[in-house]
Amino acid sequence: MIEIQDLTFIYKDEKKPALQDIRLTIPEGGFLGVIGPAGAGKTTLARAVSGMIPHHYTGDYYGSVTVNGMDTVETSLEDISRLVGMVFQDVDSQIISPVVEDELLYGLENFGIPREEIPQRIDEALQKVGIADLRERAVGSLSGGQRQKVAIASIIALRPRILVLDEPTGELDPRSSRQVFSLLKELNEEQRITVIIIEQKIMLLCEFARQLAVLSEGKIVRQGDTRDVLAHAEELEALGVNCPRVTTLSRAVSVKTGEEQPVCLNLDEAEAMVRRLIS
Amino acid sequence: MINLDHVSFAYPEQGPSVNDVSFRVEDGEFVAILGANGAGKTTTVRLIDGLIRPTAGKVEINGTDTVTSSVSERARKVGFLFQNPDRQICKNTVREEILFGLQTVRGDEGEEALRARCEEVLKDFGFSGDEEPFSLSRGQRQRVALASILAVEPEILILDEPTTGLDYFECCHIMDRIRRMNEENRVTVIMVCHDMEVVLDYAKRALVMAGGHLLADGPVKEIFRDAALMEKASILAPQMISLSTRLGEGFEDADSPESVADAVLALRKGGARHA
Amino acid sequence: MHNLFQYVPGNSIIHRMNPITKIFLTIVICIAAFVSGNLLFLAGLLAVDLLIGFIAGIPEKTLTIFKGLLKIAIFLFVLQILLVRGGTPVFWIITDEGLLTAARVVLRLVIVCMPLALVLAVTRVTDLTNSLVQVLHVPYKYAFTLSTAIRFIPQFLEEMSGIMEAQTARGVAFDKAKGLKKFSMILPLCAPLLISSVRKTDLTAAAAEVRGFRLRTRQSGYKRYPFTILDLGAAAFCLLLLAAAILL
Repeated sequence: MIEIQDLTFIYKDEKKPALQDIRLTIPEGGFLGVIGPAGAGKTTLARAVSGMIPHHYTGDYYGSVTVNGMDTVETSLEDISRLVGMVFQDVDSQIISPVVEDELLYGLENFGIPREEIPQRIDEALQKVGIADLRERAVGSLSGGQRQKVAIASIIALRPRILVLDEPTGELDPRSSRQVFSLLKELNEEQRITVIIIEQKIMLLCEFARQLAVLSEGKIVRQGDTRDVLAHAEELEALGVNCPRVTTLSRAVSVKTGEEQPVCLNLDEAEAMVRRLIS
Repeated sequence: MINLDHVSFAYPEQGPSVNDVSFRVEDGEFVAILGANGAGKTTTVRLIDGLIRPTAGKVEINGTDTVTSSVSERARKVGFLFQNPDRQICKNTVREEILFGLQTVRGDEGEEALRARCEEVLKDFGFSGDEEPFSLSRGQRQRVALASILAVEPEILILDEPTTGLDYFECCHIMDRIRRMNEENRVTVIMVCHDMEVVLDYAKRALVMAGGHLLADGPVKEIFRDAALMEKASILAPQMISLSTRLGEGFEDADSPESVADAVLALRKGGARHA
Repeated sequence: MHNLFQYVPGNSIIHRMNPITKIFLTIVICIAAFVSGNLLFLAGLLAVDLLIGFIAGIPEKTLTIFKGLLKIAIFLFVLQILLVRGGTPVFWIITDEGLLTAARVVLRLVIVCMPLALVLAVTRVTDLTNSLVQVLHVPYKYAFTLSTAIRFIPQFLEEMSGIMEAQTARGVAFDKAKGLKKFSMILPLCAPLLISSVRKTDLTAAAAEVRGFRLRTRQSGYKRYPFTILDLGAAAFCLLLLAAAILL
């Protein structure tokens, strides 16, 4: 479980807080989507959960973040990292090895995973992400989307209990993005891994995330079950967060028919709503 | 006018290639190129601007084969907005950046005229001109890049995933500006884009690619309604189109939340009359 | 150009050799090239270089590297024969000594540079640094710096060509410029490249830290790098080369 209490963080040499009075609880096995306009503090939030703040990025830090009972300020970055896996937004900086297989090996070696377990972990992670064929390839010869998958595989191989992903589908086409989300859903449901994902693709968040947190200018402006948050579509749009078309549809239908319709989050729900109305 | 005549391109090692692609784009069109990662979309737009040369076939712009002139000479006519604005921006202020682009291709018009044009563009985009590009957000930097390309007033604008990594507002800013160029100045737009909602909202014609081949070419809405084609090209159609295709009769023309809602209303009234 | 320094997967005997042996072989070739001035022996060394590339199953890459070096070599050769003034004139201002010196210089240059490039093509950088740490006890920090530096070469070049492409598309005449002129045009455009590189190194450090960088010890590497009969053979070959270099 992750508990963030009144967290305010100001990066060194900056005046404006990147995060302000953040209060957020993510239950074990939760699937939280984080959305918000550019510069809202989403990446900073990811860094605070993964311990990079305050261990790598320093600055003025108020409040507390506890991960499974450990206060991230008092726990070493290494101990947090055993629990929390982080996929960076900029994959090219995250990948430090020149060959795919070595990138997966890196964390496994450092955290002292038993030798006999390592080959199986690598095979499994590559297979899950669907890049078993890239194992021997030089990272420089891969496309942006392939690199993104390598970065994800290298973290999954570590089997973290909590996965923090910062826009992991930026370089991927819609179909591959959906595959990544399906994989996260599988890990979340089968192994109860807590997932925190920062994402601009609202359509995917609506389908997969159980909770949503909306950030704007360093503050959480809305949080809760995805459907409840989406019920405030107009407020979100004013902040620069768009809603999926199906949500706009349920709103338009409510207005036009004069009957309040439940918020639709995906195609199936929208289809069911329309069929119910016209039958 | 842009004309691709049986164009093929193969990279020396791996990488997506383009295989025997032919199409023609008239002046003032707004065309989107769709397809999965590795379908050959980016390769195609790079071929159009001559950043790479076809291994077979030819590319013509306004009737002239692109191999007869250099890419830099073409910059006056063809603007290219890349996915990553940081590769383009090289000056310390937004004003210098825009001026640099102008001086490079319109240097013959004299300093005075270029400065005036620069101020006009700054005002149009709402920049003061003194901003440091690298202290701006990614979306703002993309707007700087777009401003410096539009300042030159190209006839053709090529966009390679221009909205990747941008939030919703930033995306709308960029795309609305491009639409205005297309409608008011009749600038031809060719865009590679992964966001099908953006394609539906802005583009009029779509080219569908897969494995380096051109699979289909037609009006955006018709293309999206072809479920078999979408499947073959690994494209997920925009939500409202998928929905109306699923719903069938009575929703043939619905492609936005508004029009679907209207269709619902019409069917309900119609249903009431029957009952 | 991008993949000149890139690893090419394979299973040749060169690939399977201990990385330390490969470094040793490279050093021996370099020493041999400078100990001996015998042109025939130097030509032989060059043949050894090429042979290594062919045995490793990367003939095309070997030849690309060779051709690239040849261009520089020809330039240096001409420079040398014009500059060296000793010896008997053979033709115009060219002397026999000039020809000899020039031949030696360029042969040595090519002989020395080839294996350096080839080592990176047939050895994973990670194996290189891990074996340095495990076998030669090089501190991991230095090994990590080396491996990330090499890792970023292709990325740096990719970014560079990306910038050139973007600038060409907006009218900067890179496509018409050549040599020094092109170089002087690139420099002012490198500001963005430098800014992004600095930003990236910090992120890379963070990425290493969250994956246990500081926990790593000499024994952390999964792979072990024992010396085999193959390495023994290579070592014997090295001694042979050295002996020949001294004798000839």
